[in-house]
Amino acid sequence: MMKLSSPFMEIVPLVTTFGPAVISSFFHIGKRWQDFVLGLLGVLFLFFAVIFFTDEFSDSAFVYSLFDVRYNKISVFIGLLYCGSLFTGLYPVRRTINLSPEFLFYVAGGLGIILANNLPTFLLFWTFQRAIPMRAFLKEGTGGTYVFQHLMTFICFLLLMFFAGKEGLLLVPMTEMPASFFTWPVLLLTFVIVYEAHGIFPFHSWVHDVVGRLPWYEFSAIFLTRAGILLFVQLLLPTLKFDPDIFQILLLSLSIFSSLYWSLRGILEENFAKKTTYLYIAQASLLLTGMQANLTAAKGSYLHMMVISVAGTSLFSILGYVNHSFGLKRRSQFYGMATYYPKLATLFCLFGFCVIGVPLGASHVVEDVVITGLLEYWPYLGLGHIFATALNGILFFLIFTKIFLGPSPYHETHGNFDMTLGEMLPYLLAFLLLLMIGLMPSLFLGRITW
Amino acid sequence: MANSFFTLLIFTPLLWMGLLAGVYFTRIKLSEQHLSNALRFYSLYMVTLALGLAVLTFLHRPSFLLIDFADWFAVGDYQFKLRFIVDLLGATYALLATALVGVIFRFSRNYLHREAGYFRFVFLLSTLLFGLIVVSFSRSIDLLFIGWELVGTTSVLLISYFYDKSQPVVHATKAIISYRLCDMGILAGAAWAHHYLHTTDFVIIPTLLDHGHGGAGLVFIGLFITWASLAKAGQLPMCSWLPAAMEGPTPSSAIFYGALSVHLGPFLLLRFYDYFAHFPVLLVLVGLIGGLSAVYATLVGRTRSDAKTMLAYATISQVGLIYIEIALGFTGFALFHMVTHASLRTYQFLRSSSLIQDFYENPVVEHNRTIHRRFSFERFFSPAVRQRVYVHALHGFHLDYFTGRLIAGFLYPMRVYLQWEARWLEFDTRLLKLLLRKK
Repeated sequence: MMKLSSPFMEIVPLVTTFGPAVISSFFHIGKRWQDFVLGLLGVLFLFFAVIFFTDEFSDSAFVYSLFDVRYNKISVFIGLLYCGSLFTGLYPVRRTINLSPEFLFYVAGGLGIILANNLPTFLLFWTFQRAIPMRAFLKEGTGGTYVFQHLMTFICFLLLMFFAGKEGLLLVPMTEMPASFFTWPVLLLTFVIVYEAHGIFPFHSWVHDVVGRLPWYEFSAIFLTRAGILLFVQLLLPTLKFDPDIFQILLLSLSIFSSLYWSLRGILEENFAKKTTYLYIAQASLLLTGMQANLTAAKGSYLHMMVISVAGTSLFSILGYVNHSFGLKRRSQFYGMATYYPKLATLFCLFGFCVIGVPLGASHVVEDVVITGLLEYWPYLGLGHIFATALNGILFFLIFTKIFLGPSPYHETHGNFDMTLGEMLPYLLAFLLLLMIGLMPSLFLGRITW
Repeated sequence: MANSFFTLLIFTPLLWMGLLAGVYFTRIKLSEQHLSNALRFYSLYMVTLALGLAVLTFLHRPSFLLIDFADWFAVGDYQFKLRFIVDLLGATYALLATALVGVIFRFSRNYLHREAGYFRFVFLLSTLLFGLIVVSFSRSIDLLFIGWELVGTTSVLLISYFYDKSQPVVHATKAIISYRLCDMGILAGAAWAHHYLHTTDFVIIPTLLDHGHGGAGLVFIGLFITWASLAKAGQLPMCSWLPAAMEGPTPSSAIFYGALSVHLGPFLLLRFYDYFAHFPVLLVLVGLIGGLSAVYATLVGRTRSDAKTMLAYATISQVGLIYIEIALGFTGFALFHMVTHASLRTYQFLRSSSLIQDFYENPVVEHNRTIHRRFSFERFFSPAVRQRVYVHALHGFHLDYFTGRLIAGFLYPMRVYLQWEARWLEFDTRLLKLLLRKK
């Protein structure tokens, strides 16, 4: 078995990503350099996979210091999904995109958030990653909600650290915070931070400023870090059973309501790129529901995280590829892209089905497990979850029909522009993975043990 | 022996679908002729299996066979069990499904000859067959949902078969909205059954009810299930999508909206009949829905002029009658009605595209002869009433309008909130500009 017990192993992902990001900000990024960076993402994916499957979680060299990064099961799992999803989404379309230095900093900051083990380190990387778009917003004087909401969260973070410092817990790993620390003010502060970081109602408005403004991969790099989930799992979950019932109901109902909100927002939206993003966030909102219910539902949520990370990024990627070739800017009820991309249309449809819970796809199993888990304690909220899933399905079909079906407004263009089998291989592998989760869920559910 | 028949019947379609998917995503070229020949063999094989199973079940009636595979997955105390029930209801429906799908495969060989989407059509129909077999033999709501969803998904994809035209796509969207809203019923029913009875097993639930388990909340399971059955069966108030769904190729209209998919609603109620028998109020509700749908579809159908739409309304009307039969407790007759109706409608749908030719080539019919209805119930009403009813029926009794108003009402708070939120976002940006002293 491979030994990864060197105390400095934790900073390998950070060095691997910050290094190219710094180099890119000083030198022009060519296509070959871009391939190299994507290759690094692939290597990091393998790196996390080795740690995840060998269960070799080393002791941190920086524990109880201001800068504390560490591998534990959740951070390695999210790191694995983070690198894997970005690689799957970006590699097939690498010729059609130009990765900016900002993107590389997003990735590096994201990995920092994922590996952070205490509050100061988390705040450091979170601020770093969220400050990148803020710099642009401040320069242009736009994105006011993004700026103010993040300032609010930043203040909440400082207050939380103040409370932690007062109790002598500032440098303590987040998972080791005692239940006595979570008084009502601390719970409320954590609630604001978690829900804002995850884009959940009522702290969701900042997402509007980002959607449609950042390229899909930069947006994904922000959302795939699952900052809210990480904080929730590490900070709140260990002691959640000691928290008041009303707090749990508040958390659960808001995450379900949030999914309903994003689904309806997507249904009413005209812009297809925004529609897809709303679908993605609506699904992500449901992650917190399962986490809070019980162990059964939590397992379902981890699987759900896997599904929406892989399938969501692939959906964005296919959409980005099609949009790059056609520049879908003409106002039209339908774009009819299936005429030009029959296989990509099929893959888009299949990935979507995997997300919205069509049987034989992964999400069906997830739905079953999460709803069953929810019902044990919160039957009425379980019904809300079902409604949210139904709306999600409708939203996906609206997106699919708008982009791929119907008469194409590009009558002058003829031909089949599909990717070759080799080019779409990462998508196919990702789909096979999702299909395997759907057909043989036990193989995956068995590995989620913590 | 029945066990082996069943195992082959359920796993062969999966294998077949995997083969088709493999061919699609690789560079293997499969000619239409080869595919048709393979389909002929596959259909015959499936019908033989289903027939064998049906005969065995018929010989051993009224007892039934329970087949348990290993747990599909297990999390904590929760296990998803792959449990099936092979009874006369399931075996009959599976035989009907395999036979009619075989007929459609044969018919489409000529009908869709050299069509670009022939392969897609075959794949979707194969998925439909798998879904129907799962529904036929499922022993729990959870498992039934898998087949149910697959049928719905393939149905929607076949409505939009001619995907480069806008109308089929619009109607497919209408269908999926109806399906999704009603499919919630199955999930909610399963959830409620899990919560109150800790099982969704069709065999165990009636036994628990016989022993007085559960409470008043149990009636909601039936309400959810009834709701779930409405979209597939095209019953009120979820019926307006069905005539619109005729945009797909005729063979798929025949199999979905004339024969198999549309009868899944009554099938679900029959599967649940032992539960429904404990709640007479639910049976009254089912009967009312069926009666109203039958009257509605009859009146509206008589104002339509194209063959497929008339057939669609006739189907809704007949399914409504089947609902009434179920409500009255004539379950055996309802199953017989389903089988005969499905077979007749398949024939009518398949012949609908050559109706005019059939009419003129019919030696019994004289040329240039107008056909009059021998019996018309309209004559019992005054002309004023007839005219008023006709106008309303022509507009489908404004069902779409009322549904639209209902959805708009549901979305109204959301629209108001979005306006408020847009103002909020604008205010934030203005404030930021003010703070930064930017114009």
